[in-house]
Amino acid sequence: MSILLDGLSLGAIYALIALGYTMVYGIAKMLNFAHGDIIMVGAYAILSTLTMTGNPYVAVIAAIVVCTLVGILVEKLAYKPLRGASPLAVLITAIGVSFFLQSIAQLAYGAKSRPVSLPSFGNITIGGVQISVATVLTLVIGAIIMAALTFFVKKTRIGRAMQAVSEDRGAAQLMGINVDRIIMITFAIGSALAAFASLFYLMQIPSTSPTLGSMPGIKAFTAAVIGGIGSIPGAMIGGVLLGIIEKVCQSISVISPYTTAIEFSLLILILLVKPIGLLGKKRREKV
Amino acid sequence: MKKFTKVAATVMAVAMFASVFAGCGASTADKQFFIGSTGPLTGDASAYGNSVKNGAQLAVDEINAAGGLNGITFKFDMKDDKATAEDAATGYDALMDAGMQISIGSVTSGSCESFASKSVEDNLFFITPSASAASIITGRDNAFRVCFGDPDQGTLAAAELTSKYKKIGAIYDTSDPYSKGIYEAFDAEMKKLNVTFATQSFDQENKKDFSTQVEALKDCDVIFLPIYYTEAGLIAKACAAKSVNAVLFGCDGLDGVASQIDSTVKNSIKYITPFDVNSTEKATADFVSKYKAKYNESPDQFAADGYDAIYAIYEAMKAADVKDADVKPSELCETVKKAITADSFKLVGATGTMTWDASGACNKVPQIVEVQ
Amino acid sequence: MGKTKASGFMPRFKLKHYIHYIVIALFLIVMMILSSNGMLPRATITLLSRIAYSIILAVSLNLVVGFLGELSLGHAGFMCVGAYIGCYFANFLHTVIGSPLVVLILSMLVGGLVAAVFGFVIGLPALRLKGDYLAIVTLAFGEIVRNVIKNLPFFGGAMGLNTTKYKPASLFIVAFVVVLLVLALIQNLIRSKHGRAITAIRDNEIAAKAMGINVTFYKLFVFVVSAFFAGIAGVIYGHLNTPIIYTVFSYNYSIEILVMVVLGGMGSISGSIIAATLITYVNFVLQNKLSGDLAALKLLIYALILIVAVLFNNAPALRPLREKLNFRRLAEKFSKKVRHPENIRDDDAAWNRIDTKIKMDEILSVELQPNGAFEPDRKKKKKEEK
Repeated sequence: MSILLDGLSLGAIYALIALGYTMVYGIAKMLNFAHGDIIMVGAYAILSTLTMTGNPYVAVIAAIVVCTLVGILVEKLAYKPLRGASPLAVLITAIGVSFFLQSIAQLAYGAKSRPVSLPSFGNITIGGVQISVATVLTLVIGAIIMAALTFFVKKTRIGRAMQAVSEDRGAAQLMGINVDRIIMITFAIGSALAAFASLFYLMQIPSTSPTLGSMPGIKAFTAAVIGGIGSIPGAMIGGVLLGIIEKVCQSISVISPYTTAIEFSLLILILLVKPIGLLGKKRREKV
Repeated sequence: MKKFTKVAATVMAVAMFASVFAGCGASTADKQFFIGSTGPLTGDASAYGNSVKNGAQLAVDEINAAGGLNGITFKFDMKDDKATAEDAATGYDALMDAGMQISIGSVTSGSCESFASKSVEDNLFFITPSASAASIITGRDNAFRVCFGDPDQGTLAAAELTSKYKKIGAIYDTSDPYSKGIYEAFDAEMKKLNVTFATQSFDQENKKDFSTQVEALKDCDVIFLPIYYTEAGLIAKACAAKSVNAVLFGCDGLDGVASQIDSTVKNSIKYITPFDVNSTEKATADFVSKYKAKYNESPDQFAADGYDAIYAIYEAMKAADVKDADVKPSELCETVKKAITADSFKLVGATGTMTWDASGACNKVPQIVEVQ
Repeated sequence: MGKTKASGFMPRFKLKHYIHYIVIALFLIVMMILSSNGMLPRATITLLSRIAYSIILAVSLNLVVGFLGELSLGHAGFMCVGAYIGCYFANFLHTVIGSPLVVLILSMLVGGLVAAVFGFVIGLPALRLKGDYLAIVTLAFGEIVRNVIKNLPFFGGAMGLNTTKYKPASLFIVAFVVVLLVLALIQNLIRSKHGRAITAIRDNEIAAKAMGINVTFYKLFVFVVSAFFAGIAGVIYGHLNTPIIYTVFSYNYSIEILVMVVLGGMGSISGSIIAATLITYVNFVLQNKLSGDLAALKLLIYALILIVAVLFNNAPALRPLREKLNFRRLAEKFSKKVRHPENIRDDDAAWNRIDTKIKMDEILSVELQPNGAFEPDRKKKKKEEK
């Protein structure tokens, strides 16, 4: 039971990161490899503001602002000039950006991992099971964010414009949608979600390092693929599923050393058997 | 492209040739004994490399200030190996090109294995401060160490834990030679003692989140942690978050854990170490005060090991009365080996009183230090 | 190309096609002479072997990335398989066969073949997946390989696999001979009809399929060949460095190889050779220069190479600048060779350089009127508008 809860709260983090991947992939049609590293940026933003002001709420707001700005900046400088270029070029640039953010963080803060002390809210007992409040918070806020995001995409003007761009960029442009702006907004939202992910991450694992984001980033992408890239509920389901799988694997001592291999084999398997994931939409390639 | 290729290739060839001969110019100008080593000065393990480097440099400066050996001073250099086997090999080559005569090996086990395999070919004497894997000194006549071996610590911990606690758990790192080495010896000893215990593990990719492992071991009286202090700190915090009050018991890798925990951690943390910074032994206290004066921080066990490794070399060379500053590594190796394994040889260092036998292992008394 | 001076389809001997072999062979001979006289420092010999396997890695990755146009982020994984299997096999062979050279060659073949099998397995998803998905699959593959090898006790686990060492002074010679062989094989492949089929798939898969190219076969083929050579590079690595520790073959190492390919130019063999040499050399020099957290500068340089090189080569907005700074153009300017259809030989790439575009408002002809009035078409038009 407790393992399932741990898996759920890890899964909520994966789900938040996966949302960022899915939105950017769905709309800009590119795999933002640097997304995981935006989480790392958020974690360092929290660390810095926490040591400066000592107020965790200021730190969270600072992280959201910093992440959003970095996300927009990366989009403007590295991805926008490549619109219309081959996907391979965009992907390689994204890897470059990921390395860039990591090396800057290492130059600024050092390679050693640094402890971050966010306030811990202690534990509560529900039905005989001890749960940390941080876990509950992660789950609740995660669910709220996802609901809000679904509403935003489905009901608002910008959200509908996003759907249009995702469906057919050229046609959307002809209909008077400012595609560049929509893509920028997508990156901003994805990065803000990454800031939340870094907050939840630090609440569970109170230490930060320059490579903090890369593994969760890749795993969250796995989650996005499992759920079906481009689908918001898919990202949530994929994230939670992967979190639980990871925790269950880790708790069985015979297979726990192979956890990484199992997760990635699952990814390859899903891509081979059902490349569109659990909830993805099928796309046809046009000539 | 053709032109560019040609130009580039020419430039490259010229640059390479320049590099080929760059190494030749650096012959030893002054008559000095050259002690070389490699260690992680960057990356995750850089704390250990820098500590060893500081400790060793302190010893070398002291020896030189006292006039060196027979009027010949010592020179010490540590190349960065980032704790990888590959860079340790490169560092070894660079040091040999620069005229290394004797060495304190590498800081971490993985790199030291690589360093040791190369040193055998040249019959270069080395005494590693901290590479504790058993395989490093086995089958190599030229290899010695200052620290405990991994198996020794595992066996020791098994005896200690079974005598004091009932429910025993362990968390180890499957991707780290140090951790795995200790754990395997611990496991073997526990089987011999016929005591069962619960095991959890983690690896390089999953060394941040320990909630599962702690959850599984929540009923234990003691959790054995044959790992390094960064992860131990996270485990301590995970224990605090889950209100698990087991005693955390580790090996010398836990030295430094105090910096990683905060007031939320209530668990008692103990570890086996040959070096206690608060010790009142004269040699240790002297070292601590000198180190603090020079580097403005408290030394850890790695610094003490580095300091002792240099003194082991110095004392052995003094006992053998080495006079020739141009002595070849292989000759020096034979002389020093004979001196250090002699029955009369004994080093009183920062990590206690040490003697060596022909296997290369160091005999000294371990202590158990409690953090809180 | 009826008017080509090289009659028919028989390839004429061209220095250009053999320049790699000549440069590398000359270099090798000079180094061998220096080495046998004991004039090479050990560090340089190690560096040479590293350059050799880096070249093999970069060229073989270029085959996938530059020629097939798929991104592989698991190249270090193939290398890892090759290193472990090949060296494990070599350890066994040493007890059976006396000659170290034979063992070395056999272990390279075995390491390469096993890696090629893995290449086949990874090539299978490549049939269904493209671009980003495939990149992630290869990345996942690299991580799986590392994770599994770490947990196999007979490969030494965390302590790594101890290998029988070869003297670097002899190993680098073998390594460079292998480089020459690999280059010969890959260049012949690229210049053959198979090579053209592969680049056709890169440029437009659907069109290639329509032309009757067996896309399935060629994709698998490229992955297998690339993995085979990566495996061989791994075996060389393993014989140079003992113990082999799985941590080396991480995602970062795959990226490092990718940096070589991107810096050298995707689809350029010469570029890959030069970039591999350069990056290995710079790495080697920087190793002891950058201490502490400054080591991140290396990562920063990699990142900038990836971003700047790709942006420069691909950004639609930078096309004019690109044309201006094109190396080939510059070289032509210096050599003052006039590109004229008459002079075009069997090197088809040169056809691209003949300008067939008509610029806007370009004066292509003027009508000379009997009364001597000289008016280009354009102005006439404007007058009419008025």
